[in-house]
Amino acid sequence: MVLRCWRDGWRRVLAAPAVVVGVLVLTCVLAMPLALLLRGEIAARLGDSLAADAMADGVAYTWWEEFLAGTTSLGGTFTPAVVGFAATLGNLSDLLDGRAPAAPLVWALGLYLVAWTFLAGGILDRYARQRPTRAHGFFAACGVFFFRFLRLAVVAGVVYWWLFAFVHPWLFDGLFDDLTRDLSVERTAFFWRVALYAVFGALLVAANVVFDYTKVRLVVEDRHSVVGALVAALRFVRRHPARVAGLYALNALVFLAVLAVWALAAPGVTGSGAAMWLAFFGSQAYIVVRLLLKLQFLASQTALFQANLAHASFVRAPAPVWPESPAAETIGG
Amino acid sequence: MRFSFLLSAAALALLLVAGASLRGQLRDEPVTSGPLELGRAGEPAPPADGAVARAGRSPRNASYDIEVRLDHDARTLEGRQTIHWRNIDAAPVSDLQFHLYWNAWRDRDSTWLRERRLVPGYTLPEDGWSAIEITSLRIRQPEGDWADVLDRLRFIAPDDGNQADRTVAAVPLDSPIGSGLTLEIEIAWTATIPRPFARTGYIDDYYFIAQWFPKLGVFEDGAWNVHQFHTATEFYADFGVYDVAITVPDGFVVGASGQQVERVEHDDATTTHRYRGEDIHDFAWTASPRLLDLTRRFEHPALPAVEMRLLLQPEHEDQADRYFAITEATLARYGEWFGAYPYGYLTIVDPAFQSGSGGMEYPTLFTGGTRWLAPADVQQPESVTAHEAGHQWWHGMVASNEAEHAWIDEGFNTFATARVLDEAFPQSRRGLRLFGGFVPWVLRDVPLTRIDHDRLASYRLNAEADEPWTPTYRYWPATAGAITYDKTALWLHTLERHLGWPVLQRILATFFERWQFRHPTPGDFFDVVTEVTGQNYFWFFDEVYRSSNTFDYGVEALRSETDGDDAHRTTVVVRRHGEARFPVEVVTTFEDGEQVREAWDGLDRRVIYEYTRDARALSVQVDPDRVLLLDVDYTNNSRTLEPRAEEAARKWSLTWMVWLQDLMLTYGFFL
Repeated sequence: MVLRCWRDGWRRVLAAPAVVVGVLVLTCVLAMPLALLLRGEIAARLGDSLAADAMADGVAYTWWEEFLAGTTSLGGTFTPAVVGFAATLGNLSDLLDGRAPAAPLVWALGLYLVAWTFLAGGILDRYARQRPTRAHGFFAACGVFFFRFLRLAVVAGVVYWWLFAFVHPWLFDGLFDDLTRDLSVERTAFFWRVALYAVFGALLVAANVVFDYTKVRLVVEDRHSVVGALVAALRFVRRHPARVAGLYALNALVFLAVLAVWALAAPGVTGSGAAMWLAFFGSQAYIVVRLLLKLQFLASQTALFQANLAHASFVRAPAPVWPESPAAETIGG
Repeated sequence: MRFSFLLSAAALALLLVAGASLRGQLRDEPVTSGPLELGRAGEPAPPADGAVARAGRSPRNASYDIEVRLDHDARTLEGRQTIHWRNIDAAPVSDLQFHLYWNAWRDRDSTWLRERRLVPGYTLPEDGWSAIEITSLRIRQPEGDWADVLDRLRFIAPDDGNQADRTVAAVPLDSPIGSGLTLEIEIAWTATIPRPFARTGYIDDYYFIAQWFPKLGVFEDGAWNVHQFHTATEFYADFGVYDVAITVPDGFVVGASGQQVERVEHDDATTTHRYRGEDIHDFAWTASPRLLDLTRRFEHPALPAVEMRLLLQPEHEDQADRYFAITEATLARYGEWFGAYPYGYLTIVDPAFQSGSGGMEYPTLFTGGTRWLAPADVQQPESVTAHEAGHQWWHGMVASNEAEHAWIDEGFNTFATARVLDEAFPQSRRGLRLFGGFVPWVLRDVPLTRIDHDRLASYRLNAEADEPWTPTYRYWPATAGAITYDKTALWLHTLERHLGWPVLQRILATFFERWQFRHPTPGDFFDVVTEVTGQNYFWFFDEVYRSSNTFDYGVEALRSETDGDDAHRTTVVVRRHGEARFPVEVVTTFEDGEQVREAWDGLDRRVIYEYTRDARALSVQVDPDRVLLLDVDYTNNSRTLEPRAEEAARKWSLTWMVWLQDLMLTYGFFL
């Protein structure tokens, strides 16, 4: 069942390439303005100097440090950690260590989360119906589910905030310090750290799974009550723990495999000609794979839920038709 | 007749032995001790004082015989020591002043902690405080009897008047001690070992014990040079012979300054390890049952051999070769550049995790520092090991006052460390520590250069924090390192590029040769510079030592226009933005490859150069060879008429954009 749903998930994701293109465009559109701002700052700092030659042809670390010493906001995020696989690893590390993103990025990340909250209804509706809904049907579904998902996002936000604001410090500042206070062997302290990452990760995953199935039930069963859907999702997870966990683990394994490949393939510092574009588009391929995986989580979980119903493509509500969705009417009127 | 013959023979034998002993001391050979005696209590060698002591490399005017017992369960030390102190100053001394460093962590009101609390992010520990109490103090003045003077002991605070500080104690003498006379001081004391503070203390069953015994200050120029323990400073003491018997539980591996000369196992499940070090000014030791004890011999065609002893944490066993290799490289380079390491032995301590004892130097012993996961192309443990090994020269032997002029030893050593790393380990890369600092990641595309080892970046951020002539203990605690270490290393590297390495090497070697086993001041170094170069460099030291001015030269304008005759009129305007001055070169490059090199004395605010050439100018650079490493803004030192900033900015902003997309996807987990 798990493997079948996992394969079914991939089938549903690959059957809707427009969704993949859409979310890729979303990440690009949100990242690009900030990248252009940074580009301006780098160009201004390099000015007409010969340091630009070194930075164009490779890397001049002493210049980089000079740049960092003179920048305050967005430029402060332009550190050597943005190069290659360090970027991925650093971002994961920051997340697990509860380090907040730099202030200038918060609004971009917030916008990204809101945009995804909007798109998630359409994406799940598309995967649940397993047939093309066209742009108008897709966005109509987005509109139908947006406010429900927004309410769910508030609930999820509270849970995640509680995890990061209270549980994380308790685990990593309190318990970890207590466990390792008298340790004189780093290896032991590291294993404690890994164990606590596992505990914290398990809590995050548990919350994530429940919220994922809440979304699935909101869409598939056309539920209006977020709380009802949340309770129903919890019930579903409780009744099918092995399947839910198995599917999640399978997807997580693929994620780790993707990271492993990326660790080997991630481009480093290049010149500023064709190699730069090759590196950039290669990196975009990695972003696409990450997005595919994100979508696969949603699609395979939808497939698993539907597989436990009467038939695999069951969606309670009829396909919303533009402009009959409340959101579209609101926008239009 | 028979009796007088025996008497004469005995007298002759005594004279021969004494003569041989004296010749041995006078020859500048490494100290060699007899073979280790296990299980047999031997009489300690007589304290090095008098004629034999004076024959050492150093004045040996402050010698310590110490017996100390570690109580592992109670985390305490109990010690008894006899100090043989000779007044080598011209003036008589009327009191004695001691350091009691461990009282710096007695409570939050000590000067050390008052200053430490000014450093952003510092959190006071909840427990693990320390203290040292003198329980008995007797003094025997020349040709006098022992006098109990404990009741005369009082705490003084010569630097800041802090009445709560107990890191310096003074006791008046019955009568002044004249030049050349020797005092004997007998002290009994107990001390509570702290959890790690300033590289001393315990964690689990690992002990690193430094600055642990009542220690005399330095009497010079008619007064005691004794400072309270400050957070930004280290130590200053006279040379002597240390004979220290350390009693620890059976099974503990002990490493210490000096060389082990005896080990005695006792019936009470303890073992006494006796160490002896000559011509040293401090003594530190470590003890732990889990240390791996490894040795290797350093050999060099032109330098004395050194027995290296590495006390290694078991989890770092795979890094033993790295520790030895960098220590060997440092012994070789420093030996070739400055002068030989004469002791014949050196102990490297790999500190335990969370011990806070890493990266510190003591005579003939130092602590390195590494991590369980330590990639080969990130220089840990190499960087810290080279630095601390190098301190054997700069402070171990050239014993400048670290409380007042810490820049001498720390700065010289940072400069030389960068040089060693650049020569011995050129493949250094920028590394990251992720996931709580446990997981390393090497940025293979970001190589580090010698300038990075000089720590230009941290200097730049705090360039004006303090004037280096200020006594170090008065530096602002949060930025002291930038002035002490970084600025000095950068101006020495600047001198190297300005004078050439052979000249600077001669300066440093002369300074080392002249001041080893003595206490030089900044003026002594400046005098050596003048002597070796034959020039007055006070203008340079006025900038880098007597002021906090920054250097910043730049190109203000570059124009190259045709004058209508197929010739191009090129105008270059260069500018001094900073207050500090240094001669620099200005190089203008033309399209046909011609380069015009101008020497600018760097004094005026700006200088204009004009050229008429067939070719258009391409670029201009101030200080193109980057001689002046203290220039805080090197980007403005060049200007080109074919700028590539947009090209570079495009490349890096695309790289950054991918990072941001990845960040978005990471946060996408929550959706």
